[in-house]
Amino acid sequence: MHIVVCLKQVPRDNSVKIRPDLTIDAEGIEKIINLFDEYALEEGIRWNEQHGGKVTALSIGTPEWVEQLRRALAMGATDALLLNDPAFAQLDTITAARVAAAAIRKLGDVDLVITGRNSTDDESGAFAPALARLLGWPQLTYVGKVLELQPGGAIKAERHLESVIETVTCRLPAVMSVIKDINEPRYPSLLKIKRVAKVEPPVWTAADLGLSAADLTPTAQLVERVPPPPRPKGEMIDGPDAATKVRKLVDKLMEYQVI
Amino acid sequence: MSNVLVILEAIGNDLAAISRELLGKGRQLADALGGKLAALAIGPTTAVAAQAGNFGADQVYTVQAPALANYTTDGYVAAAKAAVEVCQPALILAGTGFQMRDFGAALATDLQAGLIVDATDIQVVEGAIQATRPSHGGNVINTYRFAAGKPVVALVRKQSFPEATAQPERSAPVTELAIADLHPRVEVQAIAPKVGAVNLTDAAIIVTGGRGLGNKDNYYRLIPPLAEALGGAYGASRAIVDDGWVPYEHQVGQTGKTVSPKLYIAAGVSGAIQHLAGMRTSRAIVAINKDPEAPIFRIATLGLVGDVNEVLPLLTEEIKRRLNR
Repeated sequence: MHIVVCLKQVPRDNSVKIRPDLTIDAEGIEKIINLFDEYALEEGIRWNEQHGGKVTALSIGTPEWVEQLRRALAMGATDALLLNDPAFAQLDTITAARVAAAAIRKLGDVDLVITGRNSTDDESGAFAPALARLLGWPQLTYVGKVLELQPGGAIKAERHLESVIETVTCRLPAVMSVIKDINEPRYPSLLKIKRVAKVEPPVWTAADLGLSAADLTPTAQLVERVPPPPRPKGEMIDGPDAATKVRKLVDKLMEYQVI
Repeated sequence: MSNVLVILEAIGNDLAAISRELLGKGRQLADALGGKLAALAIGPTTAVAAQAGNFGADQVYTVQAPALANYTTDGYVAAAKAAVEVCQPALILAGTGFQMRDFGAALATDLQAGLIVDATDIQVVEGAIQATRPSHGGNVINTYRFAAGKPVVALVRKQSFPEATAQPERSAPVTELAIADLHPRVEVQAIAPKVGAVNLTDAAIIVTGGRGLGNKDNYYRLIPPLAEALGGAYGASRAIVDDGWVPYEHQVGQTGKTVSPKLYIAAGVSGAIQHLAGMRTSRAIVAINKDPEAPIFRIATLGLVGDVNEVLPLLTEEIKRRLNR
């Protein structure tokens, strides 16, 4: 069975700045694997341990990003694949899914694609559905538990929604997105980190994937990018003791009509 | 292509609040585009379809089929495509719940349409659709302009627009659309209520605790009682969820839930940027922390420096007394 896990590169925190050309400046913030994608990776590795075959860590990124792909290999991915091209620098979610779909088609023998429910920087959760539609495969999003996974057969899983849990099933191949509750990602051992330190994953470009500039053009043009409006200046509640401060606080809450 | 199509959602026998918001905003945008406002009810939502006319729709479409009894991506996308075919909308509006995210991105991909998720504003500028969404935990506000000629799917964050007011004398024709051969590839075998589900996203008041509470026992002794006195829900910072004090369901922040209640009380929460990302748009933020330098005070509407173990029981009692609970 061949499982592909899509990993996105995100800044560790979102304290990013905006450059004059409206691109995001994440200079000085460590780049990490999107947290939800780590759960996707762990899930892929666990099912690979059970069924054998391959689990490929796939990511769109620049050559420095190979370091994190090696981390995925150290965790237990059997293969890694980097998609790198200057034309991939400013993809939107759907065009990023188009790049990943082209790579998955080129891999050819993929049974299941797993990714996180959303990235922590873009936060839309649109990648998995877009990828599924582009591949023409069914999608299971917001999965909190995989109940059955039969190579060459079907997948049965729980989708954890706001107030209900759906038990759903479909034939493979399929695309699945996972939530944080699904598992506890492992830490790679030092021995394994050392073993993969020199691995150079294959790199595929837009040309390798047969993608043209038109395939990579976002449907929308960014016209403005600004920081949020500042919150009105707050007020500190003072008083000689806790009881006085609490009374004053409740007075204010009633004045603001929020209780 | 100047019409606007709203995907309706129902709660019981009524249109969901988000649908009333979308009909209100949709009406305004349809007028700006010089088109009609249409609404689509899929499967069980058909029961509330006629209400859309009272809230401003010019035309209502319904799609019914046994295979639409439960949500599936294939079923809902097929139903929406049937409506898109007859309505030819420039803009398709839907909500941002998990099912709508699953649906909206799939529909946009199939239609080769524009997509904006978590839209907080939508305008018509020089005939083109322009929409705004936050990213990076609310630290960046992005505005996109979509090229004419292709529809735009906009999933709108709730409470972004005022709800349309009902006009009982107003109504709209309801047309049932047929779809042939619907075989969703995903089969829904069971739907069970989530045990201990916390709908933090819908709560008007949230009381959140963090590591400053000291331990798990203090959290449960101090936080849920205050939330209960206020008629609200209780949340948790990532640190104490990771430490196993509180289930993940309660986590607010970058890797938990994004909330925007009218009142958010953060007790013993330092205010890491990942936490602020999930609650910074709350109407009023109260911070209670013994460290006056805690970053949470920088975004607080009201700050109280003090020991949570002393302050919270007093606050719970004072709230109960004032609200006669």
